Amino acid sequence: MGLFTRSRPIRSLLCWLLLAPLIALNLFPFAVMLSTALRPRDEIFINPQRWLPSRLAVENFSDMWTSVDYGAAVLNSLYVAAASVALVLLVGIPSAYALSRYDFRWKRKYQLFLLITQMVSPIVLALGLFRLFVWLGWIDSLDPVAIVVAAFNLAFSVMMLFNYFSTIPRDIEEAAWIDGASATTSLIRIFLPLALPALSVTAMFTFVEVWNEFVITLTLVRSSEHFTLPLEVHALASNLYELKWHHIMAAVLVATLPVTVLFMWLQRYLVGGMTAGAVK
Amino acid sequence: MRERVSNPILLYPGGPAKAGEGGLRGIFRMFRVSRAFWLILPGLLLTALVIGLPILILIWTAFHEVSRFGVLLSFNGFANFADVFADPLFYAALLRTIVWTAAVVLGTLLLSLPVALILNEDFAGRGFARLLILLPWSVSLTMTAVVWRWALNGQSGLFNHLLLQLGIIDTPIEWLGTAPLAFTVQIAIAILVSIPFTVTLLLGGLSSIAGDVYEAGAVDGATGWKSFRHITLPLLKPFVNIAIVLNVIYVFNSFPIIWVLTQGGPADGTDILVTYLYKLAFKFGQLGKASVVSLMMFAVLLIFTVVYAALQMRREEA
Repeated sequence: MGLFTRSRPIRSLLCWLLLAPLIALNLFPFAVMLSTALRPRDEIFINPQRWLPSRLAVENFSDMWTSVDYGAAVLNSLYVAAASVALVLLVGIPSAYALSRYDFRWKRKYQLFLLITQMVSPIVLALGLFRLFVWLGWIDSLDPVAIVVAAFNLAFSVMMLFNYFSTIPRDIEEAAWIDGASATTSLIRIFLPLALPALSVTAMFTFVEVWNEFVITLTLVRSSEHFTLPLEVHALASNLYELKWHHIMAAVLVATLPVTVLFMWLQRYLVGGMTAGAVK
Repeated sequence: MRERVSNPILLYPGGPAKAGEGGLRGIFRMFRVSRAFWLILPGLLLTALVIGLPILILIWTAFHEVSRFGVLLSFNGFANFADVFADPLFYAALLRTIVWTAAVVLGTLLLSLPVALILNEDFAGRGFARLLILLPWSVSLTMTAVVWRWALNGQSGLFNHLLLQLGIIDTPIEWLGTAPLAFTVQIAIAILVSIPFTVTLLLGGLSSIAGDVYEAGAVDGATGWKSFRHITLPLLKPFVNIAIVLNVIYVFNSFPIIWVLTQGGPADGTDILVTYLYKLAFKFGQLGKASVVSLMMFAVLLIFTVVYAALQMRREEA
């Protein structure tokens, strides 16, 4: 477009130079994670500090894993994420389908309602949620966490699905109806297979969100056997007696890297889902 | 969003074909409404229960005296509201929330705009650069904050080490030791993690500006700064507005960075409303006051949301 009108090699160099400070700041936490997670215990609190450890202490990962039963936290996180994603899709697909295919009176009101649910942060409702689940006698379990997280992620998923559903031509469904398929059959056998790419992208975004969730879990979960990864790391970093930063950084790396890779692959789908359908 | 379909009967399978025989438009309409209703009902129920019920509970709690253990004692009118408004910590947190939100949103925007413009240029390795810019988005805020807490350690932190190496400072700094410095650092980290979202949003806006607008501008002599000032900026404005409102909402609500780095300390000096609220509710057991603060924050968010919805509609009508 022409902010810089020079030749491409010079422009490339200039662009990279201008972005370099920010990129360095973005990479810095990863450097800290790696540098700390791979050093022996007695090289943590040293002054002056250094980046490279005397040897690669890979045993930090296994030590950390067994000392805090990290596998349980991984399983807890996977459980909450899977349950939330399933619930979001189960409830979100019909909603998005209705929004894209039907014209009903309170369509805009429903969309505004969804938008509000997206804007309300869990922290504002934390006390109300806590009291609700105490009242229901359903506290300190992962199931309520999955339900609440699903509800807070529903709006984003519905809008993302809605945007994609609207691009699927109606003719295909209409053809199925002419051939005698019922609405339900055509939805399940014709429409959803066509929407599969959108379904998987939505599922993966929800997965990343749930995987990283902190406030709801912090509020509704008490005992450490139910800790998810962010809660486990938070607990490790809140230990008043000893902060084993080499273990904490190993834990952060294990929890972060897979999701980072997944997210990097997903980011190209982001723009549309974020704004395009927020209110229509 | 309304699509015209030539044969309306085909649009609503199952219902209209049967009910439409006598040309009963009323039944026709009702059926359409109820089918859509059944489809959105699960989503409506889920969100109404998870988001609606807690609000009712908060309203109910806000008007009662509550024991430390959460037992509702007696109706006490606006006593909890009066308690909140008499608490100097509330005003301190409120003021800090305003500073926090304004500084983070403004800082984010000022940095994201040039970054988005650069990423919109055609240069070698652009896709990779974009990945690196979006990197912080993929990491949970809790994890990011934990890493920074260690990196900012005064004696052994790698951030001081890096600054010493680069010759920017010559003695280590205790970043989280005093409230004003800790708060400044938290604002900087919040800006850093807000940039990816904002850049993505602005890139979406930039890509929607068609190339021929610039060509037409170039014919009229608008190139470089002129084309930016008179073409890019006005066309990007709706996206900037949306970025501001969304960031205000997210930053206003942001909890993990401050909670993990300082828990609002030292001496409540970095508390914003969300951390103040969380302490009231889950540390000090002042549930009546906590409900009042929750409701006030909810009201503020509602206003922001309406502003956002209005901006969105204006963008779509334009």
